[in-house]
Amino acid sequence: MKHAGEGLTVITRSNMRRLMSGLRLGERDKGIAARRLNRTQRVCAHAFLLVLCIPFILPLVWMLSTSLKEDSQIYAREGQQSAISLKTLIPAPIKWSNYAEAVKTVPIGTYLRNTLFLCAATVIGAVLSSAVVAYGFARMRFRGREALFMLMIATMALPGQVTMIPVFALFRFLGWYGTFLPLIVPAFCGNAFYVFLLRQFFRTIPEELAEAARIDGAGDSRVFRQLMLPLAKPALATCALFQFLGTWNDFFGPLLYINDPSRYTLAYGLQQFMSSYGGEWAQLMAGASMFTVPIIILFFLTQRTFIQGIATTGGKA
Amino acid sequence: MNGPTHQAKPRGSAIALCGAVVFAVVVLILVFALPGATSRKYPERTPVRFWHMWTAEWKAVVERIVDRFNESQVLYEVVPLSVPGTAADSKFLLSVAGGDPPDVMAQWNQVIPKWADSGLLIPLNDLMSPEEWKEIQRTTYPAALKIGMYKGNLYGVTTGLDIYACYCRLADLRDAGLDPNQFPETLEELVHWGELLHKFTPEGHLSRIGFLPSGFVTYAPAFGGGFYDWTRGTVLLNTPENLRAMTFLVDQRRKLGFENVIRFESGLTVGLGNVQWPFISGAYSITVDGQWRVEQIARFAPELEYATFPIPPPKGGRKDAGWVNGNFMIIPRGAKQVGGAWQFIKFWSGIENPKRAAEFYAWGGWLPMCPAIAEAPKYREFVEKNPQFKTFLDVLPSENIQPTPPVPYQVYLWDRITRADDAAQRGSLTPQAALERLEKEIDREIATRRQFGYEDETEVKSRT
Amino acid sequence: MRKHWAGYAFISPWLLGFIVFTAVPFLASIYLSFTRYDIVSAPVWVGSANYDRLLRGDPLFWKSLGITFKYAVVAVPVGIIAGVGLALLLNLDIAGISVYRTVFYIPSIVPVVATSVIFVWILNPQIGLVNGLLRRLGATGPAWLQDTRWAFWSLAFMSLWGVGGSMIIYLAGLKDVPAALYEAAIIDGAGAWQRTRHVTLPMMTPVIFFNLVMGVIGSFQYFTEAYIMTQGGPEDSTHFYALYLFNRAWRYLDMGYASAMAWILFVVVMVFTTLIFRTHHRWVHYGD
Repeated sequence: MKHAGEGLTVITRSNMRRLMSGLRLGERDKGIAARRLNRTQRVCAHAFLLVLCIPFILPLVWMLSTSLKEDSQIYAREGQQSAISLKTLIPAPIKWSNYAEAVKTVPIGTYLRNTLFLCAATVIGAVLSSAVVAYGFARMRFRGREALFMLMIATMALPGQVTMIPVFALFRFLGWYGTFLPLIVPAFCGNAFYVFLLRQFFRTIPEELAEAARIDGAGDSRVFRQLMLPLAKPALATCALFQFLGTWNDFFGPLLYINDPSRYTLAYGLQQFMSSYGGEWAQLMAGASMFTVPIIILFFLTQRTFIQGIATTGGKA
Repeated sequence: MNGPTHQAKPRGSAIALCGAVVFAVVVLILVFALPGATSRKYPERTPVRFWHMWTAEWKAVVERIVDRFNESQVLYEVVPLSVPGTAADSKFLLSVAGGDPPDVMAQWNQVIPKWADSGLLIPLNDLMSPEEWKEIQRTTYPAALKIGMYKGNLYGVTTGLDIYACYCRLADLRDAGLDPNQFPETLEELVHWGELLHKFTPEGHLSRIGFLPSGFVTYAPAFGGGFYDWTRGTVLLNTPENLRAMTFLVDQRRKLGFENVIRFESGLTVGLGNVQWPFISGAYSITVDGQWRVEQIARFAPELEYATFPIPPPKGGRKDAGWVNGNFMIIPRGAKQVGGAWQFIKFWSGIENPKRAAEFYAWGGWLPMCPAIAEAPKYREFVEKNPQFKTFLDVLPSENIQPTPPVPYQVYLWDRITRADDAAQRGSLTPQAALERLEKEIDREIATRRQFGYEDETEVKSRT
Repeated sequence: MRKHWAGYAFISPWLLGFIVFTAVPFLASIYLSFTRYDIVSAPVWVGSANYDRLLRGDPLFWKSLGITFKYAVVAVPVGIIAGVGLALLLNLDIAGISVYRTVFYIPSIVPVVATSVIFVWILNPQIGLVNGLLRRLGATGPAWLQDTRWAFWSLAFMSLWGVGGSMIIYLAGLKDVPAALYEAAIIDGAGAWQRTRHVTLPMMTPVIFFNLVMGVIGSFQYFTEAYIMTQGGPEDSTHFYALYLFNRAWRYLDMGYASAMAWILFVVVMVFTTLIFRTHHRWVHYGD
């Protein structure tokens, strides 16, 4: 590391390594990237973000607004060119009963139960198995590691449309047609997307830490469980979030493998409000809002898990 | 450096762990404690699995009909399953390929020729006695029959046809000094009315379209064209009649300006699907659309003053011509309860008891498949409540309404016809060029199919 | 040797899953690509006829491949720049930053039906937001999704909606940058921009690499929005490869042909992916 006064130089990899090996765990905190901003900078940042936010929040606003409208308010009337305009974003009068009706029209309790079950099962399966596999690819040495990793990446490159039939036939052959198994078991076999992501995170953790632990006598699985997993918590949480959302929104999977409507999910229930020539738009939006808002709130409350680093791990040298 | 021990907030992680355990327990309880959504009403009967694509308010209608059927006999119980449109075909095909198809399915996509050709469906005339079959051929409306038939066999019983006619806003007509009681008798006259009803902004952009004929597939039959020679069994594309039809439509657009029309039309569809109907908002004074709009207007814009009348043919053209599609019931090969499925089909469609079935058609606002249903009292009642519906009933018996050509590559054909229409309507290709390109594409497709071992009897012909 | 076994043990869930659930369907679909298969009858061997027809007798194949390639070239870099930029912005220590982060992630949570409707409205030529703004500036905007020249760009623009997903991954990566590096940089007299360039970005290269690879793989399979909003668009201008594949497979029931299409796409994607992997040593900094 060059000394001060010579201006900034490129931080070489060896320098970084040296730096990090002297690192205490607790110093990988929020990071000085989150530096103090002065007043003007803060105002500018807020202004910029607010403007940028508008197109992102519009779908939600429109959805909520439509869900509270009367049928007659939703469709364009005389002289209006469109049902959507900034003026009509506020419903008047507010029809809360759309929500009550939506709940009555579909068996929400059943769908919610099934969806939660599938989400829990797939999240646990995907995160755990992907973490294990990712660690294998990231830190274990074995013959064919890089080739197998590329093979795994390659499995994502083929469009699923053409493997749908053989996969379906496979599940029929196994006798899993009509059950939740085709949706759950593959989640326990590692998901290429998550494995890749977690591998990247595992590889940024310095080798020295693991070596130090091994010197202390820890075996591979202990190193993995007690050192790596906690360090990769944000990445694990991100995978959990993505998997949860994936299963939550999955309409086609349960529909394809299950014929018993008492096992369908919320995504299916949402489709029930849509129809080609009409559809209950107000109820659809009410359903969609109930389908979406809890997730948004959940995300808001738990974002520190993804984004807060590992400051919580404290630790001493 | 110490080993990988974390004194870091053991409390925090313990709480998180407890939370996870509690959550898992709650979920498990929910999974096993709550009852299922549906259970069989008549568990001792033989189940007949019925898949359909209806959702929302239509699903309720379907379930009423199913309930009626179940109450009317003691042998079977029809168990309906709503498989929304986007996934229906894939699920159905996979279930057949997997050897576990439903017993009966209600479909409205253009699938019969392809599926019948592949041996996927059971010919329904095999389930009838020869007299029954003759009777059905005699009494069913020609269009309904054409939709369901392929190579001489009936594969689908039509339970609802989609017919198109003109809708017009009476207030607009009166404002322009046109008499709503004297609808135009020819297409040229109607176009002239349309021109009187156009409205423009000061910049010259369109603010209202009076009438603009659109949809090559709708108008080609009226000009004597069409896409299929039903007697000879050949596909027709680049025929003089089709060319005339397309040229007529394109000329109307050219008069308004292609860009102008595109702008105006794209400004209207705001993505609420078919619900956002520009006719209700006054963007069109006269437009052509299907019979389901009648109920829609009654529900969402009951105060709208409007009238319907059949699409007038061009001078010397065919009366009451157009395109038709509909929903129909099919029985897949491999169905376990063919008998039950057939009973259900006869019940719903009215083959067995037209008077009783008329009520179902009224519930769904569907057009019936034979005159016996149309004349039944329950259906008459329905029409009286929605008098504008009568126009569609009048068009229904016409010989000139044409469904899609019954060829195995039907979907591809229809997609390419629509593309050709689109290219011509945008002005990027002349009608002649568009039709020529279309013919080339279909010829190539047929040649490829032959090369792959498919034997299609139809060939593209252009009568010169 | 023991080390090898341990490694295999760790990746065994994936290996097992691959052998049971993935390998066989993959091999089956390769086989299908040499057949004529309409899903309901048994496949009939036709040799290389599908590939022949694809490469020689199908203009739509080339057109859709070109459109998809163009999309990848545009969407992947833009997506990365937008994602990284947004993550840097959302890493600032200002009040309510968690609200902002949630807002930017919302489009990934909201059902596609709502986002499609809003998007169609924003691009509405008469009353939409975009053309309204252009009108204020004195220009007339085109008919976006209905215009042959602009439909593709409208969809490419729409891909920015999904930036929330990659933003989260970048944010997680940002937090992992050790503070000591920044301290050292500050001691060296580096300004904010230099810190970003020399500390933040290099440390983020592992996740950038991830998003680059996933971006390439994903953009070549772009399908959903085109299917919902344009169905191939005005005159095939948004007829993406995956959409054409879907139509061939499930609408025209030409599954053998679609399988051939899928494997050609596979080869194309893997060529690019391998290239990226080969060169990544030069610019990706891991912790080791």
